[in-house]
Amino acid sequence: MEFKLFDLSIVEYAFFVTSVLIILIGLYAALVKKTLIKIVIGLSILDAGINLLLISIGYLKAGTAPIFSPALVKNMPLTLENIKKLSEGMVDPVPQALVLTAIVIGFGVTAVALSLVIRLYRHHHTLNIDEIKNLKW
Amino acid sequence: MVGSPVLFIAIPLLAAFLIPLLGFVWKESVRILPGLVLLYLLYLSLTLMEQVVHTGTIVEVIAGWAPPWGINLVFSPLTGLLTTLMILMGFIIWIYSYRFKNIDFQEAVKYFILLLMLITGSVGIVLTGDIFNQFVFIEITSISAYALTAFYKGRDSAEASFKYLMIGSLSSMFLLLAIALIYSQLGTLNMADIAAKAHLMKPEFKILALIFFITGLGIEAEIFPLNGWAPDAYAQAPGPIGAAFSGIVVKAGVYAMIRVMFTLFDVAGTHQFLIVIGIITLIIAEMSAVRQEHLKRMLAYSSIGQMGLVIVAFGIGTEEGVFAALFLMLNHAIIKSLLFLSGSYLVYHSTGKYISEVDGIARNLPITSFLFALGSIAIVGMPPFAGFWSKWSMLTAAAHSNLILIIGLVLSVSLIELVYYFRVLNRIYFFPKKKEVVVKKPTINALLAMGLLGLLILIIGFYPDSVTGYLHAASQSLLDKGKYIHDVLSTGQLLLP
Repeated sequence: MEFKLFDLSIVEYAFFVTSVLIILIGLYAALVKKTLIKIVIGLSILDAGINLLLISIGYLKAGTAPIFSPALVKNMPLTLENIKKLSEGMVDPVPQALVLTAIVIGFGVTAVALSLVIRLYRHHHTLNIDEIKNLKW
Repeated sequence: MVGSPVLFIAIPLLAAFLIPLLGFVWKESVRILPGLVLLYLLYLSLTLMEQVVHTGTIVEVIAGWAPPWGINLVFSPLTGLLTTLMILMGFIIWIYSYRFKNIDFQEAVKYFILLLMLITGSVGIVLTGDIFNQFVFIEITSISAYALTAFYKGRDSAEASFKYLMIGSLSSMFLLLAIALIYSQLGTLNMADIAAKAHLMKPEFKILALIFFITGLGIEAEIFPLNGWAPDAYAQAPGPIGAAFSGIVVKAGVYAMIRVMFTLFDVAGTHQFLIVIGIITLIIAEMSAVRQEHLKRMLAYSSIGQMGLVIVAFGIGTEEGVFAALFLMLNHAIIKSLLFLSGSYLVYHSTGKYISEVDGIARNLPITSFLFALGSIAIVGMPPFAGFWSKWSMLTAAAHSNLILIIGLVLSVSLIELVYYFRVLNRIYFFPKKKEVVVKKPTINALLAMGLLGLLILIIGFYPDSVTGYLHAASQSLLDKGKYIHDVLSTGQLLLP
């Protein structure tokens, strides 16, 4: 569970670097771009990057699904030590559950954002953020 | 036991999704159901609160997964106090907006669903004992808040809402990063478990997580660099929603931030950080409030300023300081809601909501103007109204900690508040009425809601002892970190096979 920052395998390292890169790309798009749609796309990319980061926390090389199936247990008595031994190769399911939730939330936010973009376009007839400034931006 | 804390989340969620279905059967039920739900929850929270103050924290385990594995709800004196406050504000806002959107059935359905979701989310933020669950509730609150901000199609509300959404979703990403960091380091999401294991985390990771948390939660708490959304959102949202933001959502945000700082991590220097960030928020907000020409923007900046005051009071860090902060939060919720509710009738038909449009309106709207004046005087902190006691307790807390600067700051800020609130009152009472301004008489239920808030201000003003007992219990429960950890984690041991 505990990871040390500089003690990673190449694959894990690649996961972290990629997710940070995706987060930075998303931040760039959300903060620098002037078109509303591009900003929303940037937010979605940011979301994806963070989800990848969360998933890579639970990554295990050649990990198995965290299910104590009858084939795996093979009539072993389920003592605490046996459970520990069996669960060694298992992937941590919590980050995956978190990511599922985060994806749904991200979907909801994107939907609301896009509907607001439609409203803004109908109101101002433009998607350029510099031209929408009835309120002080 | 009358009911369990999980009902605070289950019942309003169920009701929110039942509203459109019941609307097919009987249209009036759309308006009545939220009120019944909130009334029941108010009764429940008051009884649970009474029980908790005397017998100790209730920890509710969800779905049989004991802490630290599953999600748990913690109803302690602190969270109970905030829950009660939020549900009370929700109920009063329901009374106020009962006839809201009278003609349009579809609009009323949307409005009440979103209002119930907003209340559910905020109550969830306060009650939950799990940081990822808290993130989910923060998102529920935020998404309903975005939608409610954009409720009026005619105004510039979509712009305000998009701005809010941008800041909100960026900061929720930071929150998720903080959660990822903590999970990768400690392998747990339960707040009590994190607090117990926090010393295992490297200090640099701890500080990084804390920074992510502050960025993520500061937006709902309206602390300085993250509150750019607030004036626009308050000004563009419907009047009762402004009251809901300042009375419900912001309180939940401040709670989440304080929980992270006081319970999760004990990094040295957080108290000084809170004082500094609170002072910056306070000064900038009050200075901006003075120059506002829009009534609702002025109220919004004043709201941000008050939150700065609350954060400074938390930063004092002693039990008295926390007590003062909670008292300020309670009074701010009641008084600022009254100001938003009565203020939105003062500028009901105006498109710009300019302060100059309230000239001489007291002759046409005597009761609303009187209540607005009561709120203004109370929030400035004049005796014998509610605001006086909270500012007084903050001053004594600062004096006992030898923070003379804070005393001077609070007094001078009160002076600034006096200036801009009395400027409005002066216009309401002593200026000649403008002919072109059309006056809207408040409905009977709006008067009832505002009258209730005014009554609360008077009750707390004349009998502060009626709430101080609960506030003392709440501040002790926030500062007693060991008890929180013990209360939550011991529930787990009882349920283990």
